[in-house]
Amino acid sequence: MTQAAVAEPPVATGTAPLLRAENLHKSFGGVHAVFDISLDVSNGSIFAIIGPNGAGKSTLLNLISGIYQPDSGSISLDGQDLSGMRAHRRVRLGLARTFQKIRLFKQLSVLDNVIAGFHVHHNIPAWQYVIHGTAFTRDRQQCREEALRLLEFFGMGARLNVFAGELSYGEQRMLELARSLATNPRLLLVDEPAAGLNAAEVDVLLDRIRTLRSRGITVVVVEHNMDLVMNVADRIMVMDYGRHLFQGTPLEVQKNPAVIAAYLGGELS
Amino acid sequence: MGFLFAALCIIALPLIFNDTYWRTNLTICAINVLLALGLDFILGYTGQLNLGHSAFYGLGAYVSTLLIVKLGIPFWAAFAAGVAFAGLAGMFLSLFAVRLRGHYLAIASLGFAVIIYQVLLNWISLTQGPLGIYGISPPPAIVVGGTVIVDFRNLTAFFYLVSGFTMLVYLLLDQLVRSPVGETLTAIREDEVSAASLGINGAAWKVFAFGLGAAVAGAAGCFYASFVGTLVPDAFYVSEAFTILAMVIVGGMGTLIGPVFGAILLTLLPEILRGIGDLRLVVYGAALTFVVLFMPGGLVQAARMVQEKLRPAGRGP
Repeated sequence: MTQAAVAEPPVATGTAPLLRAENLHKSFGGVHAVFDISLDVSNGSIFAIIGPNGAGKSTLLNLISGIYQPDSGSISLDGQDLSGMRAHRRVRLGLARTFQKIRLFKQLSVLDNVIAGFHVHHNIPAWQYVIHGTAFTRDRQQCREEALRLLEFFGMGARLNVFAGELSYGEQRMLELARSLATNPRLLLVDEPAAGLNAAEVDVLLDRIRTLRSRGITVVVVEHNMDLVMNVADRIMVMDYGRHLFQGTPLEVQKNPAVIAAYLGGELS
Repeated sequence: MGFLFAALCIIALPLIFNDTYWRTNLTICAINVLLALGLDFILGYTGQLNLGHSAFYGLGAYVSTLLIVKLGIPFWAAFAAGVAFAGLAGMFLSLFAVRLRGHYLAIASLGFAVIIYQVLLNWISLTQGPLGIYGISPPPAIVVGGTVIVDFRNLTAFFYLVSGFTMLVYLLLDQLVRSPVGETLTAIREDEVSAASLGINGAAWKVFAFGLGAAVAGAAGCFYASFVGTLVPDAFYVSEAFTILAMVIVGGMGTLIGPVFGAILLTLLPEILRGIGDLRLVVYGAALTFVVLFMPGGLVQAARMVQEKLRPAGRGP
């Protein structure tokens, strides 16, 4: 599987980064969850963050998505400073995410979960929320069609009216991805999307993430599954104890002795 | 269709129950439906555990009445002011409680209801405290060209007024929850962090929903004052908030039709069981316990279960 990484076209360098983080620090009661992390994610690439448990990967993702604010350092999306901006504002700039511990709206149907994701894109005059008119009907129709398209893409087309809480684990992961894409992001942050998936589901996931990249969506993925990371990532950042350990292509990461010592061990050597 | 049926029921009810006692109860019923709808929007849809709904009911009643009695402001202007004041109070409470959820918001709202009750009771120079305000007049009659068309001293006319308004509120809320606002509010109820990841400003929407629900309670208060004609703080004691809560839960939170039936049931049931006196509280308690334990979806869930049971039986050989 890892050989495929070599065949991947190298990401175009020299383009301005879509996401830039500089000297990020975040500590929780004396524990440096994230210590002096800087990263550049170029537009249209897949950027993976790996590291042992507790390396600060999820904290880093929470800093980027705005759930936490950094103690120091800065984050910018396409040149726009995100400092102090709350999570829901960042979505309007094209930043979407999924969660390591799946957070769906359990008592909403699969379809309504995705439709809730269109929140920032509705085009309805205020009065039509109370007296539904043509603009309202058109918007509802568009949302429904777009949601169906997204759900089909993730193989959920037959599960529209099921409550999200009743889905299998793999389906929940797929639904969360579909929902996050409803916000029409430029940058998608996915937190351990393969956790709990079987091999077949991981293959589907891999394919979908590649398709997203081909559609121009930049993906930052935090992942434990090495197959997935080595296969799809254009660049990989390795974290350990909240610190930056190494950054490079999948091949470079696999060859780096420090990385092997800290994390990969005998698994891939 | 359902709407038409409801309208017909409303028109027919006071004609069937033609004594003063039941017509009074019908109007109280309509007021309670209004209260339950407002609370359901806050609790059932947005997931804010508001245990102080009686406060907004009382604020609507006292603000409108005091404006009429002390300043001589026309009824409908005072009505609008009462609704607005209750709505703003709700927004204010939600704004300060925005970081609180679950039990903490419940305690804050309960505290708010206690404070409002104490203010109504003890600000005697304004509210006359436990002595109450008497002789509050009903809404002015509708007069066209010198002839009185509708006189709201008539119980049936008053019932039509309140139930018509209640239907209007129901329609408005129904349209709202069927619009993207519905998904937005339920998304916040289900998981606020997740909602934020979709660009939803949870705090702002919670303030909006709380304000709207409290404003509806304010309207109920205005009607109550002009219907009963007397205003004492005890009508807005904290227990009233729990009565409304029971209506919403027994009916079925997160649906609009549920609380309507919950309110009707829990208003009429104690009247039917009048002979048992304070035992009606036991009925509330038992009903609540039963629903929470066996039927968390309330009457709505029960109706759905019956429907599903009947369907295959009907198709069978």
